[in-house]
Amino acid sequence: MAMRDLVTGGAACAVPGTAASSSNPFGALANAILGSSSKTQELKGLPGSTVNVPGPSSDFRTEAPLTTVPGLENEGQQHHQPVGQNYEFLAGFRTADNGVLADAWNEIHQPPAVQTQGGKIEARFQEFEQIYNRGANSMLPPAWDGPPQGVLSRFLHSFVDSGRAGVPFCPAALPVLGLSEGDKQCIRDRSFIMAHHIFADKSEEYINAQVNALLHSLDIDGNERLRGPIRGSYPELEEYWTESQGALRSGMPNPADKWVSEFARQRENGDPEAWAHSFEQLHGTNGWASEFEQEQSQLASVGQVRGANMSHIAAMEQSRMLAHTLAQNTDPKFQNSKFLQFVSKMSRGELIVDENQIKPATGSLTDNWADEYQAQYNAGSSSWADQFVRQELPQGTDKWVNEFVKENQQQGVDDQWVNEFSKLHVQDWAEEFGQQVAEGALGDSTADDWANTYENFLDEQLLASKQHSGASRGVYVFSDMNPYVGHPNPLREGQELFRKGLLSEAVLALEAEVLKNPDNAEGWRLLGITHAENDDDQQAIAAMMRAQEVNPTNLEILLALGVSHTNELEQPEALKYLYKWLQNHPKYGVLATPELADSPYYGDVARLFNEAAQMSPEDADVHIILGVLYNLSREYDKAIESFQTALNLKPRDYSLWNKLGATRANSIQSADAILAYQQALDLKPNYVRAWANMGISYANQGLYEESIRYYVRALAMNPKADNAWQYLRISLSCASRNDMFEACDSRNLDILQKEFPL
Amino acid sequence: MPVFKTPFSGYAVRFSPFYEGRLLVATSQNFGILGNGRLHVLDLLPSPGAPGISEVAAFDTADGVYDCCWSESHDSLAVSAVADGSLKLWDASLPPSANPVRSFREHSREAHSVDWNPVRRDSFLSASWDDSLKLWTLDRPASLRTFREHSYCVYSVAWSPRHADVFASASGDRTVRVWDVREPVSTLVIPAHDHEILSCDWNKYDECCLATASVDKTIRVWDIRATRAPLANLAGHGYAVRRIRFSPHRESVLLSCSYDMTVCMWDYRAEDALIAKYDHHTEFAVGIDMSVLVEGLIASTGWDEVVYVWQHGTDPRA
Repeated sequence: MAMRDLVTGGAACAVPGTAASSSNPFGALANAILGSSSKTQELKGLPGSTVNVPGPSSDFRTEAPLTTVPGLENEGQQHHQPVGQNYEFLAGFRTADNGVLADAWNEIHQPPAVQTQGGKIEARFQEFEQIYNRGANSMLPPAWDGPPQGVLSRFLHSFVDSGRAGVPFCPAALPVLGLSEGDKQCIRDRSFIMAHHIFADKSEEYINAQVNALLHSLDIDGNERLRGPIRGSYPELEEYWTESQGALRSGMPNPADKWVSEFARQRENGDPEAWAHSFEQLHGTNGWASEFEQEQSQLASVGQVRGANMSHIAAMEQSRMLAHTLAQNTDPKFQNSKFLQFVSKMSRGELIVDENQIKPATGSLTDNWADEYQAQYNAGSSSWADQFVRQELPQGTDKWVNEFVKENQQQGVDDQWVNEFSKLHVQDWAEEFGQQVAEGALGDSTADDWANTYENFLDEQLLASKQHSGASRGVYVFSDMNPYVGHPNPLREGQELFRKGLLSEAVLALEAEVLKNPDNAEGWRLLGITHAENDDDQQAIAAMMRAQEVNPTNLEILLALGVSHTNELEQPEALKYLYKWLQNHPKYGVLATPELADSPYYGDVARLFNEAAQMSPEDADVHIILGVLYNLSREYDKAIESFQTALNLKPRDYSLWNKLGATRANSIQSADAILAYQQALDLKPNYVRAWANMGISYANQGLYEESIRYYVRALAMNPKADNAWQYLRISLSCASRNDMFEACDSRNLDILQKEFPL
Repeated sequence: MPVFKTPFSGYAVRFSPFYEGRLLVATSQNFGILGNGRLHVLDLLPSPGAPGISEVAAFDTADGVYDCCWSESHDSLAVSAVADGSLKLWDASLPPSANPVRSFREHSREAHSVDWNPVRRDSFLSASWDDSLKLWTLDRPASLRTFREHSYCVYSVAWSPRHADVFASASGDRTVRVWDVREPVSTLVIPAHDHEILSCDWNKYDECCLATASVDKTIRVWDIRATRAPLANLAGHGYAVRRIRFSPHRESVLLSCSYDMTVCMWDYRAEDALIAKYDHHTEFAVGIDMSVLVEGLIASTGWDEVVYVWQHGTDPRA
């Protein structure tokens, strides 16, 4: 569920506890279009089904007398056991000669010997060949319409195995698996919980990095709504979100669902993307990495990525490094691991992912790629890069670049291993590529051409990616073409614009400021606040993290980070920053206990802040944080109470009114929420987030026409608010205004504003 | 000793309390992260020349099966904990088309553990990632009670083998709780480890003795009357200990399995506690059981998709 806006903001379109209830937009849409979510059908079994239980349940009772005899005695009085016969079986094992046993054992590990069982053919397991084909698949009930299992299975395999190897997990690129949102939800939640068991030795950051790497490569975090909740902090909402999303996704064939299918088509068939895919398939993501590294100077000049981040880029090589590390592990178990063999083949380019299957890379395939490339390259006037950029960018699904950038940044999360890794000398991909080329059909000259073209392409992509609003965690993405660069005092300009509520402009001015003075904590902080108010928590976090680097103990920055992470449902991070706030507070610092600093526990942090509130009940900040914490723990009534207390102390804090509104919306009080948002807007008419939140609350009440007006107003102020565009589309659909889809899809605000004046 | 290859990752294995050659195996596709599940009912083949395991029945579920247990009251009934949060009751004597005979759906997150009451035999408990435990009987469509005190996923639940109404639960909140069904709240909270606790089990001979297994790689044995310190702290696993079971035949003997891919047998009273280490799995070992009816007979399963049954002291693969 879109919990991201919980506190500062408003994607509170969920109605907790009511999965796909008709009173919310996603649910209504889902119901209208499809009926229900797309996960595998319930195979059998409904509660209270009429299927006969062996004997009425009272029989069970009589058979099992209601005694309180100690359980052990029961063991002695087991009914109906044909003891003799089974002892015979044991005897059989003891006497059987080893040859037979060995045969039995071997049989298990024998290749295909097809065995019919219950009408289904069971493909037997065979060590490594099986890695290519989807052996387990044949066991599936035919109705299974989930992702291609072979690929996914191996993939998850490598994920869990990375735990043993102690190596960060960085998988090769996967094809589009067609995972439903529900599936992604499962993968995210379960892998997160399991990762905590498997990677027990590692730090929280490491675990997060591993899980993120997994999720990322399954394209799961492509949707930021799905990122975050550590462990279902909001299960009802998640359920609701999952279902509605699942429904949306499975509705792909439905023409009404154009944006989804469009997106999917782009991913799957986008011709211009094909070569990139092929390239990735050949080389894994590593190929990009080292090339990217070679481009360092260019990058640096663009100023998009800090020098420190450059080392992170090397991270992408690690699929190969993983294989290397594993190969050095002398434990025969690891040597025999299917996983090891899989990874090493993958990294050597012997395996590729193609059409949802993992196949051995053959010469012909290389040729295909080469030909394809050649064709594209010789196509004439418009270079493939141009084509690619043009086709991709307008759709906002600049997928691979985005993916690539994200991958970098995600891995940036874990400094430890990156640093370690960057010490290693990684084989130049170019060499490898050259080899491949030599083996393949390409001549040398072509390779040179290619390299040049690639360079150009990279430049273009860098420019393009800068414009991209989907910043990933931790790395701030600057806007392109900033008119404020060179401005004599961009900070003051930014403050002024912020005060006026011209947030998008303020962002540009403040970016100019921090480009000029990268160590200006105030510049970064205000930039973060601006992004938060503009409904972009990822960028807000990135900016705030820079601010915190410069000024690690600033309370405002710490509070803002806590809130933004709460919006993104990143509970551990949120707790970390809120706890730091307490630690660094001159008054409450005494409450903090140092042993909590590393991994603050929710209960402890909440207790400390309650103590703080008792110490000084007149401190609005403490009540705000308590409200945030109660949102984390879903205690909305308490959260509302805290925010109201804070509002009594700080009645003119518009963001506080917004928080109150969002919390009310979360506790199914949409009508009351609107009152709070209205207060926020009275205080600050250009508060984009509150406008969007108003829309969500109206939509929750089924007032779709109303909600559309508010979304349009919010979008008029910040056309980059992707979430709002999505909500708008849903409301349009619920209000049966399909005639406006085109205006919405083309983001034509003129038409929309004319049609839906507020 | 015989092995059985399952199509999915093994998650749990249980010996039937009625037939000494019968096993229940819970499996999940893709390590339980995504996909279907299957519950296998297996019989050890008695023929002396060709030891083996045959499949008596197999039941499919739409999500992974994380745990299973046999009914203590009826020889063909079993209940499974399914990753979609539901609990399904199966009758091994009926064809798959007639199964499951019941489906209980209340947990909002993955159901991770089930245990049938061995004393009253008319009820069973489930533990879920929604932080709650629920008590069920077959003749009611809804749960009898919900136990909500844990603040994180509950990974394991175990009835006391002696007291009809007492059970223990292990959770990721680093505590083990002991409950009495007749009481409104938990009777005892043991902060048993500093990491998540994945499993707990009662001693079959000492009603006050409880074992816990944790992500911190250790197993601890507790006297619930004095929980300040554990009776024993068993270290030796290289990764998180996934499951722990007390022997039904020897008071101080425990069996454990771990993410380090091994199955270990321990005597917590012995100076050198580790009795045996079985290294036969090639992926994480997550399911173990010890036969009540045949002393020393052990079963294990894991993510390598193989079920092993062997006599303690012999090589599982031999």
